Amino acid sequence: MSKSSEDCHVVEGKLALPYQYFAGRTGSRFLISLRDEKKIMGIRCETCDTVFVPPRQTCERCFSDISDNWVALGNKGTVTGYTIIRYEEPHQPVKPPYILAQIKLDGADTPITHIIKGMPLSKIKTGARVKAIFAKKPTSSIRDIEYFRPSDDRPAFELGYTYDELEVGMSASFTKTISESDVYLFAGISGDFNPMHLNEEFAKLTPFGTRIAHGALPQSLIAPVLGMKLPGLGTVIPEITVRFRKPTYFGDTITATGEIIEMIEKRRWVRMELRWTNQKEELVAEGSCLAIPPMPMGK
Amino acid sequence: MARKVGICAVAQTNWERDRWQDRFQGMALEVVESLQAQTGLTFTRHEPGEGIDMSVSVSDDVFDARTISDNAMTDVLGAHFGCEEKVAQEGIQAIYYGLAAIASGHHDIVLVLGHCKESQGKSRNMVTHLAFDPFYTRPVGMDFCAAAGLQAMAYGEKSNLTDEHLARIVVRARENAAKNPHTSGLETVTEKQVLESKMLADPIRELHAYPVSDGAVGMILAAEDIAKKITDKPVWIKGVGNCMDSFFLGDRDLTANVALRKAAERAYGRAGINNPAKELDLFEVSDQYAYQLPMWMEGLGLFDESRGAAWLDEGGPEKMNVNPSGGMLAGNALLLGGLVRAAEATLQLKGEAGDRQAGHPKTALAHGVMGPAGQFHSVVILEQG
Repeated sequence: MSKSSEDCHVVEGKLALPYQYFAGRTGSRFLISLRDEKKIMGIRCETCDTVFVPPRQTCERCFSDISDNWVALGNKGTVTGYTIIRYEEPHQPVKPPYILAQIKLDGADTPITHIIKGMPLSKIKTGARVKAIFAKKPTSSIRDIEYFRPSDDRPAFELGYTYDELEVGMSASFTKTISESDVYLFAGISGDFNPMHLNEEFAKLTPFGTRIAHGALPQSLIAPVLGMKLPGLGTVIPEITVRFRKPTYFGDTITATGEIIEMIEKRRWVRMELRWTNQKEELVAEGSCLAIPPMPMGK
Repeated sequence: MARKVGICAVAQTNWERDRWQDRFQGMALEVVESLQAQTGLTFTRHEPGEGIDMSVSVSDDVFDARTISDNAMTDVLGAHFGCEEKVAQEGIQAIYYGLAAIASGHHDIVLVLGHCKESQGKSRNMVTHLAFDPFYTRPVGMDFCAAAGLQAMAYGEKSNLTDEHLARIVVRARENAAKNPHTSGLETVTEKQVLESKMLADPIRELHAYPVSDGAVGMILAAEDIAKKITDKPVWIKGVGNCMDSFFLGDRDLTANVALRKAAERAYGRAGINNPAKELDLFEVSDQYAYQLPMWMEGLGLFDESRGAAWLDEGGPEKMNVNPSGGMLAGNALLLGGLVRAAEATLQLKGEAGDRQAGHPKTALAHGVMGPAGQFHSVVILEQG
């Protein structure tokens, strides 16, 4: 037979058939609760101790009828696998590139396949936490979850170190330059309008020869260390002692440092050594405190 | 006692990217005529053992864009007024049909013939998209390439496969393809070209995917006594096994090869194979995507779990004679990969594989896969007669 392509004719065609797929009773219930209640349901096989999603009437493993064992699943889940779709096809739900992932919803044992948006492609990894974003207009399919997006499961506040996380030798510090306005504000806050802090002419007559900051002003710089760094948020300070060594002049830069020197096991408190130094590395003040590290909150 | 079944002849067309000027019937006819020329068989059915008495075709309604796709083939298959069957599964299943028909004594000589023109559809991915359910997986855009991406990422992480490992698999496949006259239209590539080819579904690159392919493949199966009359070099089917995994990807462990392990176990058991790495001389596996070469070999039990990268580094594919034909990466149509693998393994066992002949194998394994991310696997064990 001739191998020439002369007189070869190609007819353009298209397979297209409007069609209605019955979702089955089990599938219908899943899709309806997704559409009307924004609830994602799974089905549990007691014998296999497995919560399946998408749901099915019969367990494929043990053939038990599981159609009545509905369980509500969380709207959040964990990524157990993923790829990034970069080729383009008409059947895709969104324009590539996009993340396609296996997502195990909280309470389910089998992950579902879905897309993730709102996450840089390079940041996707197994273990990522995501949450379902429901479609505004119903689709009556799994796309009633329009997509998943990253879920920030971190608590609103990150508590500091608990007693068990602390150890002797851990330290933290905070540094700030003490300005004239700091001193004037502190005078207002404390009611201490002593002219040695506010009146240069008077201050010239004192042993310091110029205005100095209130002693408690540099001392207060240890508060952000203890309360926000070490041990950190949630800490209570039942006792603090300070001995002042040198004055703090206007413009001095003070570093307040706390270091854990003792673990008080009986009370689960810690003892910390405190030091305040200036820009010349001179010791401005020293002391110690007891700190009660944060306890889990909200329970 | 079941009868022993032999492969008496195999034939295939050249595999090309777009055989637009060929009807699929024409491609199939080329194969049927070659098989008839090799065996001298006709389609007479009056006397048992006289001619082909059953025809099993392999095709897919969606790829052919017509329902009952075998209906367009009956004249080519010589099946009018005869026993005709169609396999819409992986083509290697047609060997299982033929084996069952002959082993049971229902038939003596079976023609198996698969054909596909992947080029005719606008997109192969649009075809495989239809393999998914319309409620849960089609709406999120699933197709076989997307499913393979999910599996490749998971398996690659578990087995430490790098982009370079995958590139070397493609380079080797194309080098082997160049030695195979049926796939020689496919260009060889360098590692760099593979590494620079565009990403489809991470970590799968364009060159990691088997090329769109048009072609046909077939074989003649016969009962032992007849096979010996037809050819002096029959290849015996020693064992066949298959296994279907769960449909939903989430119900499976995508990296564990559960279905392939079971399919292999069944085939090995029937063929009496205890140590496949020692007892099998050659492997033809359906690597639709590069990552599948080590993954399927692992699933066939030829090296320990998660050792895919190490096996490649040790030169496993060469040492074990894996895919001297170039494999599916050399370009066979989706549903015919396994059937071509069996045809290639047969040629190797007959010592008729030409430039791609890999020594003198006595036993070989052919593997076929279908469904998303290796849902369904078939394993066929063949032995030189």
